[in-house]
Amino acid sequence: MRLPSLRAVGTEAKLLLIGIPVLIWTMLPLYHMFLFSISPKDSAFSGKLWPDHPTLHNFEVVLKQQHYYLSHFWLQLWNSLLIAVATGVFTLLIATFAAFAISRLRVKCGRLVMNLALFTYFIPAAFLAVPMYRTMGSYGLLNSQWALTLAMVTIATPYSIWVLKQSSDQLPVELDEAAIMDGASPMQLFWLVYIPLMAPALVAVGTYALLLAWNEYLYAFLLLSKDTSVTLPVGLGNFLAADDSPWELLMTTGLIYALPPAAIYYTFKRYMVSGLTAGAVKS
Amino acid sequence: MASVAIRDVRKSFGATAVIHGVDVAIRDGEFVVLVGPSGCGKSTLLRMIAGLENITSGEISIGNRVVNNLPPKERDIAMVFQNYALYPHMTVGANMGFSLKLRGAPKEEIDSGVQRAADILGLGPYLDRFPRQLSGGQRQRVAMGRAIVRDPQVFLFDEPLSNLDAKLRVAMRTEIKELHQRLKTTTVYVTHDQIEAMTMADKIVVMHDGIVEQIGTPLDLYDKPANQFVAGFIGSPSMNFLKGKVKANGSIGFEGPNGVKLPLKAAPANSDGRPAVYGIRPEHFTIADDGAEAEIVVVEPTGSETQVFARIGGEEIVAVFRERHQFKPGDKVRLKPDPTLVHLFDEATGKRLND
Repeated sequence: MRLPSLRAVGTEAKLLLIGIPVLIWTMLPLYHMFLFSISPKDSAFSGKLWPDHPTLHNFEVVLKQQHYYLSHFWLQLWNSLLIAVATGVFTLLIATFAAFAISRLRVKCGRLVMNLALFTYFIPAAFLAVPMYRTMGSYGLLNSQWALTLAMVTIATPYSIWVLKQSSDQLPVELDEAAIMDGASPMQLFWLVYIPLMAPALVAVGTYALLLAWNEYLYAFLLLSKDTSVTLPVGLGNFLAADDSPWELLMTTGLIYALPPAAIYYTFKRYMVSGLTAGAVKS
Repeated sequence: MASVAIRDVRKSFGATAVIHGVDVAIRDGEFVVLVGPSGCGKSTLLRMIAGLENITSGEISIGNRVVNNLPPKERDIAMVFQNYALYPHMTVGANMGFSLKLRGAPKEEIDSGVQRAADILGLGPYLDRFPRQLSGGQRQRVAMGRAIVRDPQVFLFDEPLSNLDAKLRVAMRTEIKELHQRLKTTTVYVTHDQIEAMTMADKIVVMHDGIVEQIGTPLDLYDKPANQFVAGFIGSPSMNFLKGKVKANGSIGFEGPNGVKLPLKAAPANSDGRPAVYGIRPEHFTIADDGAEAEIVVVEPTGSETQVFARIGGEEIVAVFRERHQFKPGDKVRLKPDPTLVHLFDEATGKRLND
């Protein structure tokens, strides 16, 4: 075996020097959360790196809704899921059609739409919260989960259009022409050629929109107020309303809430790599 | 199978006109090659036949049907693209059967159509592979298979061989020609490679700057180029051009650069003293005592022939000999153009002057 050169060792060392602090920096809060979730209530703040008596009791309390703040845990988790999935689906639908029309069908005003989409990001989403609240109010949607879904779709769509447009610009135009020569209508072109080739980008954008809605707090807090209609992050926020917040339960719920995004990320990770169009055209 | 007629077709992109009135008649079953340098409008013309570009004015008909306003799928034509344009997410079989599937053909019909095309092209063992698992030549063959499956009235080829390496290109050239002889489907083939045009075509259409320079059989174009452009474009190495004056009084001849005397069989009527361009192909020189004096500059043997670059009257020319002369740079030789194979062109318009 050849020994690595001094230069390679140096590069490796530098990477480790950056990597290890970043890893600790990222993992510390997560570990803290984990620590809380396996600690009994009285030792949660003991400051130890590992509890004396680790327990899964907190998980039992959360999953069985055995605390006042957690009385709607499963319903709120369901609300989160419903709104996140709906946001993902609607965003994908709108953004894919828009990207297809602008990038492949080359509709007039395509550039204008793209620029307007970019323009929406000049204003931070937090500034739009109050206008959004007023708008939803005037449509009578406040307290309806549609309000949050629509708001999240509004926020996620412009970026999604950009990503999908860029990605569909990469598809060779000859593929469209070949399909047109083969007799494909625009809809057949869309479903049989465009969508399969866009799959990696669609997964990436769908995941983005879904997680954006899943993690949303501000809009969920503003637009929804009934305990039975809010999402879990808002439910978690309510924990802090009392003087003696049950921190160990808050952290346990947070940990459970963080699991689906991690699972989604690992499931779809392999779809997010490109290379699906290999062999289509000679480049 | 069908004939194709292109009548006074023009194309503009905005204010820029790229095709200025083109007329081409293509007979049923004919193999026609559109050839010209890049930007001459040949691909645009092909795409107008395909229906991928609108026709600004004029008329294109396939069979006896004017297709100007018909979408591509109603024109009953198939096209093979330069970069193959295979659907990467479909197998070879699915790629070839895609048009039949879109048409809603029953599965047995699709399978038999694909099988037939695969047999013709020798793609049988590859039907379940994906395009990324094929070599360049195989991909190009799949692209052709996709066209064959449809059994169209007309095949359109848009520079199908330019992405292949030189050896494969020659092999595929023969394969396409053979295929045409078997299927006898009317074919319009675009290329910038004059060798491809010469070897494959029944009829060549030479285009330049959006107009047709000449239409004819390969040997017509080689023997009687209508103008200096065609003369220079067809043939490799290109024809030599020497500027000078026609001598028609007394002994007929041509006075080349710096007074070099060049032979001419017959002068066009009333052409004495007329400034003209003398064209002679490299392969039409011989070594002869009454030839023009030339100084050898570079000698390039290729084995089958030898290309000799030399100066006549200060102008560089190239001559090709099949016999093996022992020339060295700096040698003085006498090169004689074959007077029966000389081309004369008008100096200003480039039009052919002699018969």
